[in-house]
Amino acid sequence: MKKMMTGNHAAAYGAMLSRVEVIAAYPITPQTQVAEKLAELCAQGKLNAKYVTVESEYSAMGYCIGASTGGARTFTASSSQGLVFMQEMIHWAGGSRLPIVMVVVNRGLCSPWTVGADQTDSLSQRDTGWLQFYCESNQEILDTVIQSYKIAEQILLPVMVIYEGFYLSHTVEIVNLPDIELVDSYLPKYEPQYKMDLENPATFGSIAGPDHYFRFRYEIQKAMEESKEIIKKAVKEYEMIFGRKSDLVEDYYCDDAEVILVVSGSISGTSRLVVDKLRKEGKKVGMVKIKMFRPFPKEEIRKILRNAEKIAVIDRNISFGHGGIFCQEVKSVLNQGKTKGSPLVYGYIAGIGGVDITYQLIEKVIDYTYNEEPPKDDIIWAGLTYEGQVHEYGFKEGKIFQD
Amino acid sequence: MGRIKVLPITAISDTPFSITKTGRWRYETPEFRNKLSPCNEACPAGNDIEGFMVLTKEGKFREAWELIKEENPFPGVCGRVCFHPCEFSCNRKEYDEALSIHAIERFLADSQINTKSEKHQTNPKKKEKVAIIGSGPAGLTCAYHLARMGYSTAVFEAHSSPGGILRTGIPEYRLPRSILDHEISDIESWGVEIRTNTSIGKDIAFQDLKTFQAIFISTGAHHSRNLEITHEEGRGILSGLDLLKRIRMGERPSLGEKMIVIGGGNVAIDVARSALRLGIRTVEVYYRRSREEMPAIPGEVEEALLEGVKIHFLTSPIKVIREREKAIGIECVKMTLGRPDESGRRRPFPIEGSNFQVYGESVILAIGEVPNLSFLPQEVPVKDGLVQNDETGLVHPKGIFAGGDVSNPSHSVVEAIGSGKKAALAIHEYIRGGSLKEKFPMIRVGGKGTVSLKKYFHPPEGETNLSVVPFKEINTDYFEHLRRISNPSLPIEERKGTFKEVYAGLDRKMAEEEASRCFTCGTCNMCGNCYIFCPDLAINLISTKNVYEIDYDHCKGCLICLEECPRNVISLKV
Repeated sequence: MKKMMTGNHAAAYGAMLSRVEVIAAYPITPQTQVAEKLAELCAQGKLNAKYVTVESEYSAMGYCIGASTGGARTFTASSSQGLVFMQEMIHWAGGSRLPIVMVVVNRGLCSPWTVGADQTDSLSQRDTGWLQFYCESNQEILDTVIQSYKIAEQILLPVMVIYEGFYLSHTVEIVNLPDIELVDSYLPKYEPQYKMDLENPATFGSIAGPDHYFRFRYEIQKAMEESKEIIKKAVKEYEMIFGRKSDLVEDYYCDDAEVILVVSGSISGTSRLVVDKLRKEGKKVGMVKIKMFRPFPKEEIRKILRNAEKIAVIDRNISFGHGGIFCQEVKSVLNQGKTKGSPLVYGYIAGIGGVDITYQLIEKVIDYTYNEEPPKDDIIWAGLTYEGQVHEYGFKEGKIFQD
Repeated sequence: MGRIKVLPITAISDTPFSITKTGRWRYETPEFRNKLSPCNEACPAGNDIEGFMVLTKEGKFREAWELIKEENPFPGVCGRVCFHPCEFSCNRKEYDEALSIHAIERFLADSQINTKSEKHQTNPKKKEKVAIIGSGPAGLTCAYHLARMGYSTAVFEAHSSPGGILRTGIPEYRLPRSILDHEISDIESWGVEIRTNTSIGKDIAFQDLKTFQAIFISTGAHHSRNLEITHEEGRGILSGLDLLKRIRMGERPSLGEKMIVIGGGNVAIDVARSALRLGIRTVEVYYRRSREEMPAIPGEVEEALLEGVKIHFLTSPIKVIREREKAIGIECVKMTLGRPDESGRRRPFPIEGSNFQVYGESVILAIGEVPNLSFLPQEVPVKDGLVQNDETGLVHPKGIFAGGDVSNPSHSVVEAIGSGKKAALAIHEYIRGGSLKEKFPMIRVGGKGTVSLKKYFHPPEGETNLSVVPFKEINTDYFEHLRRISNPSLPIEERKGTFKEVYAGLDRKMAEEEASRCFTCGTCNMCGNCYIFCPDLAINLISTKNVYEIDYDHCKGCLICLEECPRNVISLKV
């Protein structure tokens, strides 16, 4: 069934179709409609789940941890300040190996106050032991929520399904809602390996000695690595049943590309258009969309990028003191030395705090990557104006594209 | 899920393992360590005061009475005439008022006035016999404990009825005869034989007692000391102790309108108060030191003053004034206090030229009592008019022991009882060929010389030398301020002309209420504070033994239990 809906409603429907049993969420712009819609679905009896109104995001994640420990399929959603408020519990969920799925709607962190999209909130949680999937469209959001339970419950790690606030959360697109029976066949009821059980009392989350702790940390990393195959299988199975392909790392015209654009989230679609145009002009440009940030697809990225001459990574996020986070991660799997297979990486910061990343800006990024060698700096500030002036190491977008 | 079989991927455990034993973090360790209440330490008779308070609070009067009787055959007597050092050391006095231990002991004795000790604990009869000379508190206590141990005892009493000073020296209004008779008959019911009208040295020679395996000398101090002043000898000067005895025997001597009493001890006060009851209008007591140094029980002095006795402090007689040989008064001199003497009290000095004269129809000497030791053989060592014994009562290695006033100048009933008890144990050890001295460390109750018979026969497990709980270790947050409940007393106007007991006893409700004020210093009463406050649930109730135990696997050593224990039962383990 096709419906027009926002990204937030797509996320809510994804949770509903996954037959989540416990939802504990606290509203925050731009995530609010996720929680709202689920509360509505529960109230209407369309979703048989325990919807818990909690007093904070911290409690929300705490509640989810409890519910998941008890063996329930558990869902929550948050953004920005809410996400970082629950951070202690986010680590706890990861360490406890609980298959919770959380939708994170990207929003810039304060201060100053902002509600604009910015991936720094979710990326600041990259070391928590959660899987991270960055979505491009509302359909992808819905599909990814369903897939995430399939994945999480096998590898016993929680998953964040991430998309940018307003660009996706509040924008209406056509979303294909799969039949719930089909989803049931894809995603059976969660049967936990361990759960809190009054008949068989056990201690959950107690102290571990240094040796055990070390080993448990190793287990998380091992699970992350092993999850790649499980994810691929889950995505493939989804494609077989529902007919929608979903690449963890999407390779677009990369085979012979001289310059490859690396992007994530909502700007992937715009980037595709730019690549299409430049290809028509005869420029050997390709694009990589990184959907799966954790576990980081090292092999895939290395394989796709190693034959290009230059890589342009656009980050809607920043790790202060270093640069774009996707860029760092890409560099970390490439720059092993100035031998073949080590293309020059250009790091662009763009769209911070919800600034639009337009077609023209992306075109300019590729243009800069072609013409400047080496880049003027580690970070190229795309679209940053400062007192009306373009940044020394940056540029403004060119004339408005007319086609 | 069932039991976890493979090592899980995160911290899940269905059994305790070393790391969940958070007690490993502990660097300070609390432990349950019962301690001694200061009252128990202070009681020369070795009464388990704290123990009988708990029983009284619960209304278990019979059990409480029997607990006292294990150490002391005279709760009815002590509950009336003891100077109650227990109350002076009671921790509660630092908080509001000391517990009325004295009154509760009396209540317990009175509540069992119609019962006798049960004989079920009687030890098998032993063949050894012990002679006891004198049936005062020391002698009868010694006989009582020996009889309970199974020895045959013969108590020789010169007078026609037993009790010694209790019968002849303490007035009826303080100790009714019926109470004394009851407690003595209870002692006799244990098989103690009392031979009255039998004076050693007169009716039977001391040497004839050698057929007994051991001898206990407890003849007391029944002779009034002389003043050694001019004109002391002669008509009109009476001995306080003799007077008390005559009154006690039913005599009502005519002593005139005004009486002069010389002395500051219990005999002086007893005489003065008895005199008022006999109808003497004016009774004046002359004492050479100040009120602080008076050896008489402070409460008795208080009552005497209320009843109208006049006490002149810092005055000392220097001469008896006689008219036609009869004493008609005394000449006194005013005194001042100098440095403390060997008794620790400040020594009085006469003020020159301060002489004055007082007149009265009778002059009573009550400046102290001394033993008569003329009947004793050479081998009994005597010094300063007292039989010399050691801490166990031993006088002579051939089985001669002594106790009570005959060897102790302090002249208190409770100390006499304590000495009788120690001697009973010492005699038992002597007959068995052992030494009580070696056992002392095990049976001591604190550091004031008291021993426990219960500890002798039932040595406690673990620590024997318990420390005493000081007031600062009591957590007073858990105690309400409550008024002390004392014995009601006879109105002053009703005391004239009668020897009716001055104090009425507590009733059941008063006794229970008063006993509830007890802090129960140093003994766990299962209040549950430690259990409630322990943040690690590391204090477990062992219901089969009705005790709390610390689970050291999980005790992190925060010591909250130690802080919250109201009665200092929990200590830092060292």
